[in-house]
Amino acid sequence: MGMKITKLQRTFKEGLSNFYRNGWLSFATVSVLAISLYIISVTLIIGVASNIVLKNVQDKINVSVYFNPDVQDSKIQEIKSKLVSYQEIKSIDFVSKEQALEQFKKFGNNNPSISQALDEIGDNPLLSALVIKARSSDQYDVIVKAINTSSFAEDVSHIDYEENKSAIQRLITIIKIVEQVGLTLGVVFVFIGILITFNAIRLTMYAHRQEFEIMRLVGASNIYIKMPFIFEGIFYGISSAFSVMLALFVTSKFLVPITRGSIAGGDILDFYLSHFFVIFGLLLVSGIILGTVSASIAIRRYLKI
Amino acid sequence: MLKFENVSKIYPGDFVALEDINLTIQQGEFVSIVGHSGAGKSTLLKLLYAEEQPTSGAVYFNERSLDAIKRKHLPFYRRNVGTVFQDFKLLPQKTAYENVAYALEVAGEPDEEIAQRVPEILDIVGMSSKMGKYPRQLSGGEQQRVCMARALVHHPLIIIADEPTGNLDPISTWEIIQLLVKINSLGTTILLATHNKVIVDKLSRRVVEIDDGKIIRDNEKGKYSGTKVNA
Repeated sequence: MGMKITKLQRTFKEGLSNFYRNGWLSFATVSVLAISLYIISVTLIIGVASNIVLKNVQDKINVSVYFNPDVQDSKIQEIKSKLVSYQEIKSIDFVSKEQALEQFKKFGNNNPSISQALDEIGDNPLLSALVIKARSSDQYDVIVKAINTSSFAEDVSHIDYEENKSAIQRLITIIKIVEQVGLTLGVVFVFIGILITFNAIRLTMYAHRQEFEIMRLVGASNIYIKMPFIFEGIFYGISSAFSVMLALFVTSKFLVPITRGSIAGGDILDFYLSHFFVIFGLLLVSGIILGTVSASIAIRRYLKI
Repeated sequence: MLKFENVSKIYPGDFVALEDINLTIQQGEFVSIVGHSGAGKSTLLKLLYAEEQPTSGAVYFNERSLDAIKRKHLPFYRRNVGTVFQDFKLLPQKTAYENVAYALEVAGEPDEEIAQRVPEILDIVGMSSKMGKYPRQLSGGEQQRVCMARALVHHPLIIIADEPTGNLDPISTWEIIQLLVKINSLGTTILLATHNKVIVDKLSRRVVEIDDGKIIRDNEKGKYSGTKVNA
């Protein structure tokens, strides 16, 4: 046991001294690893951020179901409670015709002709409505159909779905494309990143291959030869995680003007700062995994006994 | 202590490096193995430190077949065998001291022991004043001394030297050979592969000549070129 700890300490020191004595090689490997991680994390951050943006837009979609003027508010409340049980429906808000008038007046505040026109009518021409939000934007079709065929269909004056339909459809298509492109690019970049890193570390091992033979000849076991390189892989991972954090900070600082207001409550820099530890943790873990796995796969072929 | 029994080594591509070798070496002997380049000297030595395995036959070390040693125990076996090479095989990123210490570190020797033994052994080979230098800062002769120190630091039973003087000038060559003789006089078996005629003749020890993968001569107190029996 004591000997194992001694050997672990020795291989750790060995790895550390390899790391700084092979200055240029380490620098090159860390750069490659950092570039891959940078590309991967930029892709992911764009993915996550655009998802948030799309969610925000999606939240703004709704359909309003307008009821005939003779339908009582109490009846509408009854209908509302029925609709609440629909799985596809996320939320329903009741807007009475009085509230609608309030809003309308507010909108037309600085347009005297509108309030004049309303005064002339005398009566409230607006209709009470239920404002429905679906859980997902492609479910409006189903919801509208269900309402149109329901028992209270004749109480409904009209639904503003038809007018909004093409806009909603277009948005759905955009969301789907963005999600698919993002996912595909993400997968491709992750794959390329792994490949580049693996290759870089393999080249590093290749440069060391004569040393493996020497170490074997003086009686080092395979695991003793391997451990320093595993540690070296860990150091590669840690150094590149730090470099990528810095690079991401600079990048998001540059992108502040473009992204201002697009992500709820701020810009990309706020996103970066509020997710600092999550991003850093993920980078550290993936850097270390990439570094050590590549190192141990790469070294295997040079470790015949 | 060492025995080759009907050993043949055939490399892929039907290249026969050794053919039916029978050879016994006693503890404390100093054996020179001579022959042209490509005659099979290096292969013979590689079988000894288990870098290669025989295609047929067996190599015994202290009555034990190397075949029977499990792969994971090979590192332990290798610590009984000191190796010295023409190209030194020092780790380039380590100082002379660290290169020698490495051989003890891999065996899990305690730090105090390493700190004591390494300077001692470097002193024996005459390198104590340069133990902080890296291999690239040392001359060929100096690098070979460090290798000798590394080979010796385990107190091995046998030293295998494959053309140790091939890259050295005559003075360094002679110093290395003297060192080998000194080590031998303390009881360590030496196996020296060389094609340096002057050395072999001057040593006047046992000579085994290999040609085309076969032993063609084995003389006590031999010369580099033996009496040509077949000619």
